[in-house]
Amino acid sequence: MDPHAHRQKVRQLADDLAWLEDHCRKNADLAVHAAHLRLAAALTRNVIGPAADGQPARPLFAAVIGGAGAGKSTVVNFLVGAVVADANPQAGFTRHPTAFLPAAFGTAWPSHLGFLGPLQRLASEQPASLDQDVYQVKKLDPKPDDPLAEFVVWDCPDMTTWASANYVSRLMEVVAVADVVVYVASDERYNDEVPTQFLHLVIQAGKPVVCCLTKMREADTAALVEHFRQEVLAKLPASVGDIPALPVATIPNIPPEVRKDPAGDGAKYRVPLLNQILALAPSAEMARRRTVSNAVKYLESAGDGLLDVARRDLTELDNWRSVVAAGKQEFEQRYRTEYLAGEAFRRFDKTREQVLQMLELPGPGKFVSAALALVRKPYDYARQFVMKTVTRPAPPNLSEQAVCTAAMEAWLAKLQAEALRRGGQHPLWKQVTHGFDAGLKAQATDLFAQRLRALEVKETDELDQMARAVPEKLANNPVLLNLLRGGIIAADVAVIVLIVVLLWPPSWWWLLIIPAVSLTRQVVEWVVKAVVDAGRNKLKAQRAALASEQLTTPLAAWLGDWPTSGGSSLEKLQAVLRRVPDAIRELAGMTKPNP
Amino acid sequence: MSIDPQQPFLRTLAPLLRGLEKQLRTWLDGRRLYPVTMVQRAEIEGLADDLKRKADALDVDRPLLVVMLMGGTGVGKSTLMNALAGASVAQASFTRPTTRDPVVYFHNTVKPDRLDPALRLCRFAQHDREPLVQKVIVDTPDVDSNDLANRDKLKELLPVADVVLYVGSQEKYHDQLGWELFKEQRQRRAFAFVLNKWDRCVDAEKGLRPDADLLRDLKAEGFENPRLFRTTAQLWVDAERNGEAVPKGLPDGEQFRELRDWLEAGLTRLEIEAVKARGVGQLIAQAEAVIESVKPPDLSPQAAKVRTAWEAVLADEAAAQADVLISTLEPYQQEVEHHFSVRGQQNFWGLTAGYLRATTKMKYLGSTLRDKLPGVPRLGSKVETPDDWNLTEFVQNCSRTAGERVLTQRLSALANRLLVEADQKGFPLPLLSDRTTDTTKLDWEQRFTRGLIESLTEVENEVTHPVGWRKWVRGGLTLFANALPPVVLLGSIALVLYQLFVNTEPPSLAMMLLPVYATLATLVFVHVLIMVFLPVRWASIREQFRGRLQTKLEDELTRAYLPIPDEVAAAVREEKRQAEGLAKETRQVAEWVDEREQAAHVAELYGK
Repeated sequence: MDPHAHRQKVRQLADDLAWLEDHCRKNADLAVHAAHLRLAAALTRNVIGPAADGQPARPLFAAVIGGAGAGKSTVVNFLVGAVVADANPQAGFTRHPTAFLPAAFGTAWPSHLGFLGPLQRLASEQPASLDQDVYQVKKLDPKPDDPLAEFVVWDCPDMTTWASANYVSRLMEVVAVADVVVYVASDERYNDEVPTQFLHLVIQAGKPVVCCLTKMREADTAALVEHFRQEVLAKLPASVGDIPALPVATIPNIPPEVRKDPAGDGAKYRVPLLNQILALAPSAEMARRRTVSNAVKYLESAGDGLLDVARRDLTELDNWRSVVAAGKQEFEQRYRTEYLAGEAFRRFDKTREQVLQMLELPGPGKFVSAALALVRKPYDYARQFVMKTVTRPAPPNLSEQAVCTAAMEAWLAKLQAEALRRGGQHPLWKQVTHGFDAGLKAQATDLFAQRLRALEVKETDELDQMARAVPEKLANNPVLLNLLRGGIIAADVAVIVLIVVLLWPPSWWWLLIIPAVSLTRQVVEWVVKAVVDAGRNKLKAQRAALASEQLTTPLAAWLGDWPTSGGSSLEKLQAVLRRVPDAIRELAGMTKPNP
Repeated sequence: MSIDPQQPFLRTLAPLLRGLEKQLRTWLDGRRLYPVTMVQRAEIEGLADDLKRKADALDVDRPLLVVMLMGGTGVGKSTLMNALAGASVAQASFTRPTTRDPVVYFHNTVKPDRLDPALRLCRFAQHDREPLVQKVIVDTPDVDSNDLANRDKLKELLPVADVVLYVGSQEKYHDQLGWELFKEQRQRRAFAFVLNKWDRCVDAEKGLRPDADLLRDLKAEGFENPRLFRTTAQLWVDAERNGEAVPKGLPDGEQFRELRDWLEAGLTRLEIEAVKARGVGQLIAQAEAVIESVKPPDLSPQAAKVRTAWEAVLADEAAAQADVLISTLEPYQQEVEHHFSVRGQQNFWGLTAGYLRATTKMKYLGSTLRDKLPGVPRLGSKVETPDDWNLTEFVQNCSRTAGERVLTQRLSALANRLLVEADQKGFPLPLLSDRTTDTTKLDWEQRFTRGLIESLTEVENEVTHPVGWRKWVRGGLTLFANALPPVVLLGSIALVLYQLFVNTEPPSLAMMLLPVYATLATLVFVHVLIMVFLPVRWASIREQFRGRLQTKLEDELTRAYLPIPDEVAAAVREEKRQAEGLAKETRQVAEWVDEREQAAHVAELYGK
């Protein structure tokens, strides 16, 4: 396999998930899925991609998250063991993530292609309040026996202030990359809805979490931890992977001088916190393996939920198709009743004449036939007269083209009116209405004209073929033809002989020959008519099927697919829905550790 | 209008507001064609509720000012309340969320039943502090904890508030949930701001100090000079417990005292009235805006355009339908001709009549036999001809056949075409859709039948009773045809008698049959004349018939469809008029309130 193929796959999957997220944000009732999709895209870029690329497990990442003012920067300082992050009272001061790189890694930053997705790395040091899609990396001073020497610690922006909508995507990106998440909650914040929901998302994604409660009075610590466990930890959702129960560390409200000396006076609070983190990552390889496998599981579960994202669109597409199908049915109904029911297929009358002609005697027999015809003349005249008076003129039939054109117009008007009526229900109908304004009707009419021409060609072929069937059969089978000819002439001769013999000597009674010969002829004609009409009826039955196959079915398919063609969002949605589950399956296979 | 401070201004406002509320509700309950969205409806319902509440609250001598604390859990609302009360009236603790039951703090001379119903279910804390006699302070549950029921409780209470005290802490002053609620409510109530836990805000090394940050945000929201109090309520509560008048170690710029003074002395009667009036004014302004937004447009110009467009479509349709109906009559052309011949011959009598009847019978023998002969294929049911034929039944057959074959489908297609046309002319489709579709479901078969019968009868009348020169031709010919054969018969008999008896010629067969020949020849001659001058041919009847039928159908279609856009437009116009009336009354009340609002300086409690 091409070594770069998986990168292409990763990028495609991340793009597709990002597109789906965007799609969800546009629909109010889908907004709940947006955060999950965002996280899924970030996991694809930052965890699955590097894993498929065979990137090393080190460094591990620890992301420090929490509500505004909860004390994230203080916790970062405690993790690192020195004052490195700006802690200040302005809520929502930090607006982009900052990574603190242990000295041991030197300049080795995991600069995998697509890593951290849309975030750019800042070249120079900037204040944390810079509100752009960037991140910065600060190198830490070397320290002897640093417990978190394998960890890059991320200081993240908050998710609670009203400005956070602009930068929560940066937070997601860093949470995705994390092998361990440190969830910071203050005595004011620990039971807040927004951070708790975010914690739920992190847990669902299978990230191991250490909780750190801050700012309470030292005396209240135990009670507060207990309350936090009861109110928040007891109500966590299920996770995709196996993650340990959430440990809780605390940093109470301590004087500034202690806060500014985490390695010294603050060690009392720092050590338990570090121990909790180290307990979650006994070895880098194990921690990273868990990160990757949970990311894959999360993507797989997200893949199951994708249909939910598209359900409403697909239902609406089904509605559109059923409207198209109803229009098709009406078209076919009109074709049958307005055109087919009244169509006589005169071509078959010619066939009848032709067959009767073939049954006449050839060669010298012609004179016999002519003689008999002469005898039958009076009967022919009488019959002609009676038929003329008795037969009603048939109502004039509309031409096939006129009926089809009218039916097509009605079909399109139905679709347009329906789209206008349902305009407020779903963007799909708006799209159709715009389509009608922008030439959908002309396109459909062109296609219709094209298919109608094709249908007419087929019809002519079929008509010709079926009308020629009987004469051709006779012509190709001289034995049968001659047998029939012989039989007919034999019947005529037999009747004449019978009358002559029975009514000998000659008298006026011999005129009975005229009706007798006419009767045999009439029988022959009835038989021929029955045979030819059978062909006519068969054609009529087939004609409806042919029109459906050549005209209405392709048109209905084209119209039914119209909303999902021409670069519309529905087309993209369908393509993405087809692609994403496959991509997830393939990437999952790629990141499985080799046995 | 000059304002007399002694005049019970607010009290007079109450009935006005009640009247407005009633009108809003009547308007809501009315049946209307033009759609009102769910959001608009909910908004109007909310406004009506608020108006009623305000009216009830104002209908007293000295209205109460409700000051409500609002903010996230843990920012210190209850602590602030306790500090203001100088006693533990609200429960304050380190567990979040603390306050689940709101606390209402009011003067002991105020009877609880004077409080708004939403407040009566809360916990009461009464006091005897004279400066606060007209004020009710309410501590509320949080806006942001995991306990969503708290948020619902708060939202039920908020409509009661005249002044909202937005309480933030260093952590939460910037939080989205509280800020959104503030933005949602700021149009309706006065806002003052408290930044509690001020001690945690002062040690800013980098970034803005929280109060500066908050002031900047408020400025962006239109609060140029808001009332912001920086407090550390916990210290004041602790001091109270320890029996100190002023706590020790207050951080710089602590303003709890200012807050208390403002609540006690800053909000005078004039200010209270102004706040109340402003609240009413904002409510009414909002009502005006909503009414303006639900006011339907005038659809008359579009209706006229739709009418013109529909006329053309309906004329097309009538022509097409006439063609279809005529083509179903085609098989019966012999019967129709026969019928017309018989009708046309009713003016003849005597010999001519007998001769014509006989020839007609001969001529149409075949068509009369059709339905009697076995084995001849029939179209529809049997048709009785000539004299006793059942026109109605015959025509019903035709229109049923036509309906089944073509017309039903054409009609539903017609409705769609009309709707598309209307949309292109800019008429809102939902208003037309139902009525147009319903019209398609009328009994059209019966209308087709009626049209066919009427046109047949008219054509028949025209043929049998012509007008103008035709009438004279017909009259003359009838007279001639009726008179000539008897004259010829009598004349030829006279001639034969004359020959026999006067000229005494020997009788011969030829001579004896002369009257018969002569009369017959005359009859044939007369017949030829009739056929030439009074023709009854299907081809000509057909055209006449088609023309009339088309007119009739066009009339029917026009009568059914064409009034729809105009009627809808008229109904919508009436709705517009109602909405305008409502808006006008609202405006009058608004103007009345406006003057009172300006009486005191409370502008800083409201943004722009």
